[in-house]
Amino acid sequence: MSPSPTTTEPSAPGTAPQRSPRKVSTPRRFTPRSPARVHNQQAKSRRRTLALLVLPSVVLLLLINAYPLVYAAFQSLHNGTLINTGDFVGLDNYKSVLSDPAFWEAVRFTAVFTVVAVLGSWLMGLALALVLRSDFPGRSVFKILLMLPWVVPVVVSATSWNQLLSTPQSLVPHISDMLGLGSPLFLADPTLAKITVILFEMWLNFPFMMLMISASLASVDHSVYEAARMDGASGRQQFFRITLPLIARSTYISWILMTIFIVNDFPTVYLLTGGGPESSTTTLVVLAYRAVFQNFQVGPGVAIAFLMTFTLVVISTVLYRQVRKAHV
Amino acid sequence: MTNTNASSPGCSRRRFLGLAAAAAASVPVTSACGSGTGSGASGKLKFWDMPWGTAAYNDVSKRIITSYKPTTGLPSASYQGIAWANFGQTFASAIASGTNPAVSTGGGFQAFQFAEQGAIAYADNLIETMKKDGFYDDFLPGTLDGMKTDKGYVAIPWELDAHVWWYNKALLEEAGAKVPTNWDELLTAGKALKKIGVYGFATAAGPGNSLAYETPMTMMIGNGGGLFDADGKLDVLNARNVEAIEFIKQLVGEGIVDPASVGYTNDNAYAQWSKKRYGLGNEQGGLAENVGGEVAKDLLVMSPIAGPHGDKGALVVENNVMMYKNTPSQEGSEALLLHWLKNMHQFWDQALVNGLPVLKSIAESPAFQKRPNYVKMVKEYQPIGTSYATRGKTIGGAQSKMDGNSAMYQFGQAVLSSKTDAKAALTTLSNALASLLK
Repeated sequence: MSPSPTTTEPSAPGTAPQRSPRKVSTPRRFTPRSPARVHNQQAKSRRRTLALLVLPSVVLLLLINAYPLVYAAFQSLHNGTLINTGDFVGLDNYKSVLSDPAFWEAVRFTAVFTVVAVLGSWLMGLALALVLRSDFPGRSVFKILLMLPWVVPVVVSATSWNQLLSTPQSLVPHISDMLGLGSPLFLADPTLAKITVILFEMWLNFPFMMLMISASLASVDHSVYEAARMDGASGRQQFFRITLPLIARSTYISWILMTIFIVNDFPTVYLLTGGGPESSTTTLVVLAYRAVFQNFQVGPGVAIAFLMTFTLVVISTVLYRQVRKAHV
Repeated sequence: MTNTNASSPGCSRRRFLGLAAAAAASVPVTSACGSGTGSGASGKLKFWDMPWGTAAYNDVSKRIITSYKPTTGLPSASYQGIAWANFGQTFASAIASGTNPAVSTGGGFQAFQFAEQGAIAYADNLIETMKKDGFYDDFLPGTLDGMKTDKGYVAIPWELDAHVWWYNKALLEEAGAKVPTNWDELLTAGKALKKIGVYGFATAAGPGNSLAYETPMTMMIGNGGGLFDADGKLDVLNARNVEAIEFIKQLVGEGIVDPASVGYTNDNAYAQWSKKRYGLGNEQGGLAENVGGEVAKDLLVMSPIAGPHGDKGALVVENNVMMYKNTPSQEGSEALLLHWLKNMHQFWDQALVNGLPVLKSIAESPAFQKRPNYVKMVKEYQPIGTSYATRGKTIGGAQSKMDGNSAMYQFGQAVLSSKTDAKAALTTLSNALASLLK
């Protein structure tokens, strides 16, 4: 095949390479395309089509997620209301939030609430998942009943807990009184209210943990345990050396998810105690809600939400690194 | 044969993309061509209404709106019920997006809040119309004044949410106590009730329960105190307020207040009245209906009690109907609102609401006179009733910021707590409100 008229002549040995001559307009000739070129063009076209098909979803996601996020950032830098944008105030909202003792009180309670509720629900879930691994009559019914706290709407659960705990005549204080332990004010005493809210959160979330751990345990090969037993490993050694490492990955993932759920959980606290008594059970999300919807201070409320998001991203990143380390 | 394969020549990839692009492009076009749902430019006058009583209330209210026949040139009206859950957000979002109603009921201080933000159409012109046709004179004295601001009337009142003193007649008799007329007698009755295992100062300060701050507000107002001075300036730490809160603390210390009430919802409090654990207390006008059952017949409204200096007062919040600037027709909004007001007697004729009427004609109607507790409220509490303005009359939008504010809830809970003294609780409230109102 003759070289194309536009190609350059190879330089003679020992001479400097010549500059490419200017392209000369020549009549086009039909040249059959090579299979590789055709394939490349098809791939390009395919990529273009795929990009076009994905574009509406990307635009939609940007509108749904990015727009509110950007607008919220905008609001956190203004002193607006629910209706008006207000004036630009720079970082004043963040400064006022960070210098407010109520914010730090909420940070402390949110941290305790989250850590205890995540670990507590995980321990409950782990214990029940291990129980459910063994075969016993009525196991399926038991499993379904255990799922109820997670399935029942939180409004119903909160009302039920309120009925069980709130007044001195309610069932739990009544039983406590009959046992000679007095009639505890579960929702009226600040310390007891904190404990009650944490227990409620654990009760709501252990079924999720149980499911995650059950799924993880189901994938563990029983021959590993048989081998360990043959090597003389005790039940405790099997649990700490085999079971826990094998479910480590799902554990970290469930911790990440549960941390995000609990930090952002508004109804659980709000319905049971409203953040009280005297702010004792106010979490960051309740504080943000109060700022925006009770006090009409949109800027500080959104600033709290942003600080929460930032903290969650840091925590999730740290935990996600653990997930990667826990590769089995 | 119909070809349904998208990759077939009948529907090529290029054609599919072209159709998708056309469809995507058509969305904003269609939106632009739409009639829009906002009240602003055209369309019906939207009337938004809260669930003020039983479900039948909204049915009757809807019938009133749909029976509205506009005069020539004015738009017709439509009705929409709005849930109490997050109602503030519902209205705020609607106003921000221009889809607000033309006329609505709502929170007691909502009109003040939105008026400050420039969204409310003042009702001065409507007041003039009412004066001309004599309807103005039907309002109970002082009721319209509560809606007046420096810029005009933000709304028209339609119902009064009164906080009144209730007692359980049977329990007081059992305890051998007489119906108290002043604070000393309230303390004595509380001690007598305590002996039979009954609490003599009922309240509830749990999640979202406005009684948390309404109860101490009632005591402060009843002692000639309040949160503002005569010039409308914040004055929380005045001597009358301190005295009132110290008295509540005394009741708490004497065991006359249920220690668990700091965590009570409304339902918990009603349950305590129902179980005969509460014998006396300051509650909303509809207590007997809300408690229901056998106990309801024993629940009676007593006369306002006097403070140690002889003052009497009551917390009465005026629920109102407001108009919005963004409306298809301001004239239409006024006509619709007037139509609703002139027909609202049906709510009391059928006993659908627990609030007090603002119209003399309703208060004097045979149907209303059959409800003795309500008659007493209108006769004895309405004349001495006041909102948070108390000694000041010009606080306007400040009320909307205070009502439901988290500082108010926390104040109410601190009052019931044995850990904080009266001055400390009032100082915390004062600082929070000063920051809020600056």
